[in-house]
Amino acid sequence: MQPALPRGFRDVLLDEAREREWVVSTVTALFSAWGYDPVETPIVEEYRTLEAGVGAGLEETAFRLFDLDGSMLALRPEMTVPIARVVASRLAGTPGPHRIRYASQVFREHASLRGQARQFTQIGVELIGAPGPAADVEMVVLLLGALEAAGLRSFLVGMGTADVLRALLDRAGGPQQWRDAAVAAAQSRNLVELDRLATRQDLLPEVARALREIPRVSGGREALERCRELADPCGCAGSLESLAQTWEVLEELGVTASVQLDFGIMRSFAYYTGLQLEAYAPGLGLPLAGGGRYDGVLSVYGRPAPAAGFALGLERVMIALAEQDATPALEPLDAVLGGERTAEVFRAAARLRESGWRVRVASGVTGLALVREADSRGAAEALVADEGRIRRLDRAGEPATALGTPLPAAPRFTWAVRGGDVE
Amino acid sequence: MIARRGADRRLLRMALPKGSLYDGSVALLRDAGLDVTGLEDPGRQLTVRAGGVEYIIGKPTDIPVYVAYGGVDVAIAGKDVVLEADLEIAELVDLGFGACRFVVAEPQDAQHTVAELYRHLGVIRVATKYPRITDAHYASRGLQVELVKLSGNIELAPLIGLADQIVDITATGRTLAENRLRIVEDVLASTARFVANPVSLKTDSQRITALAAAMAAASEEKGPQQ
Repeated sequence: MQPALPRGFRDVLLDEAREREWVVSTVTALFSAWGYDPVETPIVEEYRTLEAGVGAGLEETAFRLFDLDGSMLALRPEMTVPIARVVASRLAGTPGPHRIRYASQVFREHASLRGQARQFTQIGVELIGAPGPAADVEMVVLLLGALEAAGLRSFLVGMGTADVLRALLDRAGGPQQWRDAAVAAAQSRNLVELDRLATRQDLLPEVARALREIPRVSGGREALERCRELADPCGCAGSLESLAQTWEVLEELGVTASVQLDFGIMRSFAYYTGLQLEAYAPGLGLPLAGGGRYDGVLSVYGRPAPAAGFALGLERVMIALAEQDATPALEPLDAVLGGERTAEVFRAAARLRESGWRVRVASGVTGLALVREADSRGAAEALVADEGRIRRLDRAGEPATALGTPLPAAPRFTWAVRGGDVE
Repeated sequence: MIARRGADRRLLRMALPKGSLYDGSVALLRDAGLDVTGLEDPGRQLTVRAGGVEYIIGKPTDIPVYVAYGGVDVAIAGKDVVLEADLEIAELVDLGFGACRFVVAEPQDAQHTVAELYRHLGVIRVATKYPRITDAHYASRGLQVELVKLSGNIELAPLIGLADQIVDITATGRTLAENRLRIVEDVLASTARFVANPVSLKTDSQRITALAAAMAAASEEKGPQQ
């Protein structure tokens, strides 16, 4: 048979896998330095557990399966809800706040012929049990740090809040159907529809105006002022307070250069309650990262707690890096080590590795064949283990100088250009 | 799926739909103060550069795809194709022109009314180019339908016995009448919209917002039209 993968899944090989691994490890190291600890959850969850946390959106995105008992299960479509479940159950007795990080595969169902992957990798954090602007600042600063650590040269973080729209809708009152339509229009960024909904006859003119204008407001401090001007006559200015305080601190820290306030951000998951975050790379039509505050999710599992988090989409980050000519440079191989006697080859290889070399063994291979092997692996040196010494081979495959004692530093640290000629 | 177009974004990229919305789009751009040199008669050219904008001339149904995946920053697209595509797109301005409506139509001389058919067979056969919109419409009525997706000349489907009703767009209703079909119900109305990729809207917000405002002003000046 011809082996094949299901649509939307793929293998990640060698160079690409190493590049991804580098990004994951450098971002993870940053999260770790901030005191975030890893959590691993099963890739499969009970459908109803996920549904309680994710909300109605799950129906379209969940990759569903049934087990032999007939239980409906789903592959996790994101990590926030599984981690909220862990915190509400296993960690319920542990004092917070909890700082949790992950780098995990998530799965989403897509109709065919849309060219969409069904498996993604998300690198993210959740800060559970910490309320308010201080925690929100941590999310923004950490997101900025993560984008930088990943190697992106150019990016923009957009931050908004779900509170203002919520306050406006409360003020607007009216039928639930109208309210649902307004939320849907804001989420899908359908400003035409929002304008139409704002023409409802019994709407106060200041509320109608705020509904029309606020989703269009973005920028720096002046955006905050503009939004306040619009929200104040509706009695909704209080809903801006948390975001305003967060912005103050970010300004004080001097990190607002690549941050933009944006009152049009309304992320698709119904669970966001305050801060909303998105990160963009110029020239890439989809966000690199997203997140925000979701104070309501934990209460679904009976353990109410304030919570915030974000996740980077690894695949999108890799595309942005490639677009910005910033794909991580892989460490080359220092040497391929051959020789007639296997035990001697392994012993010599161990010595080299102790000195920091990346070495691949090729026991039984010597001469020109070994030089060719080193070339094809991109190794800086072709070496042979020979009677207790480690000798270089020249281009013709003849033994040349031996490495001295102590062994020299690995070529990848000392050579400007890899694959240079042996002296 | 994500478009890869490099980090060089000096030119704003705008998609325009070929066909019935094309002339109206160019006229509106001109009224909004944009340089439309080369757009009036692009011939077989698919891209035109004028006044800091790179125009991409595409098939109407493909335009939401270009926008959602970031191949272009902004576009003019009919509400009909935007709805049918069901992709993540920011809809900024109702441009007012290119008005048409989605209707349900059936043969004028249908021997059995559809209600009668439905009572006996429990299902209606419907042909359309727009399966998503059609499906949503009948679902909201609680009617069971068998959908046949065709790519054009939907009026033919009842004539050859393939469908009891069709869902199609019409501006004047003439084609339907010529094929002896009558409109039985309105599904929704559509006009041209100015739409944007949600990320472009963030990363290039000044240019796009200014453009949206200029186009809104130009379309308002013209007032409602066909």
